[in-house]
Amino acid sequence: MSFDQRVIKNGRLSMGLAIIANFLPAIVYSVMYGTFPGIGGILTIWGTVAASYGVSWVVQVIAYHPTMGAAGSYIGWLAGSCGDIRMPAASIAQTMAEVEPGTHEGTVIGTIGVAMSVLVSASIITIFIFIGNAVIPLFPQFITDSFSHIQPALFAAVYIDMMKRDVVHGVISLVVGFALYKVMALVGISTAFITVGVIVATVLIARVMYVSRAKKNA
Amino acid sequence: MDYQAFQATLSSPVMWIVSAPLVIISVSQAIMFLGMCRKEAAAIGISKEKVNSAMRSSALTALGPSLSPVIVMLSLIVSIGAPTAWMRLCDVGAARTELGVCSLMASLLGVEMNTETFGAEAFTYSLWGMALNNFGWLGMVFFFTHRMDGITAKMEEKFDSKWIKVMMNSASIGLFAYLLINQIQSLAMTKLTPAVIGAVMQLLITKGFSKNKRLQELSLGISLLCGMLITQALINAGIVA
Repeated sequence: MSFDQRVIKNGRLSMGLAIIANFLPAIVYSVMYGTFPGIGGILTIWGTVAASYGVSWVVQVIAYHPTMGAAGSYIGWLAGSCGDIRMPAASIAQTMAEVEPGTHEGTVIGTIGVAMSVLVSASIITIFIFIGNAVIPLFPQFITDSFSHIQPALFAAVYIDMMKRDVVHGVISLVVGFALYKVMALVGISTAFITVGVIVATVLIARVMYVSRAKKNA
Repeated sequence: MDYQAFQATLSSPVMWIVSAPLVIISVSQAIMFLGMCRKEAAAIGISKEKVNSAMRSSALTALGPSLSPVIVMLSLIVSIGAPTAWMRLCDVGAARTELGVCSLMASLLGVEMNTETFGAEAFTYSLWGMALNNFGWLGMVFFFTHRMDGITAKMEEKFDSKWIKVMMNSASIGLFAYLLINQIQSLAMTKLTPAVIGAVMQLLITKGFSKNKRLQELSLGISLLCGMLITQALINAGIVA
């Protein structure tokens, strides 16, 4: 069996096992505490996450494939952080070993880089989870209380970071999104559809701006 | 089940046991491919020194970005328990993605994270939400990676790649617009204050200190800390209510 064939065989085997393990906590917790959301509930949840992240599932996996290769994709997508940890690790490994990306040598060394980065980040996360779990009960009340403000701070900071690339689009989307949210909530439309509505509106605004800018440049 | 009993279920031994397999699979897979590739490197004549230097440099590169989500990690431990936070940070989906999914699930049920309204039902929704979200990436890779070379060629032929990039960006902007709006829609000062402080700090660090790379890596963490701590201080001082 060639190297590539072995990569695919082992990669698909571990991905298959990972998909089963991925659902383990949800299944066990639902059964233990009798909180299974029902088929309808599952479909609503699936629809909501698909509306929110579905584009990333498809486009990211395809877009990173040429750089990550098959083995890199198997390790990288299981461990995550492809953009900010795996790709930089693969590329620095290739530079240090003086191999070209896109060649067989480059793929082998790039995969070594991705694998090393997974071992490092899994160790760091594991260490910090245990430290965090041990020290959180010792935090003063002030700190523990302040964690309830993390979501507005996080989503606002990330939003600012994302809209830097196109400030006009970012501002319009937020204003239109806010109005849409209020109107849809007022009419009594369910949350899952409000999520979809805001995302679709944002993409439509981007499309209108993209087309009109293309026309202006033409 | 009362709130305290529910909190105990988050980090019960069972949750540790069911959260471990995915982490173990991910690490074993990395070790297996590392071994395979080191053998292959030797077979195709790449020197041991080069392989070792590739290993060392990639390990060092992974250090910084692995540490940066530590603030969000702490908040995930508080709201969904250490075992689930551990499993979900070791797999696909950044810390902020997992927090985003839990926040979406809470809003589906009309409850709020980090309050007593977020109980066993909301946690179950979050577990399913994170699993189904991650399945999106895992399933894509499982079903398509082995025939991806043909797919990428066809995609490039068929679609305007510039628009695909814009569409992807705007879809994630739309998602975070929703998540942000959902937090601040009541226009309550306790929600607006951390949002404004987080946004201003992020803008200040990324614009004002754009040349300091170390600071950029920490920017999100710093913005979060400022937003959380200053808001809490203002609440305790009776200025924000």
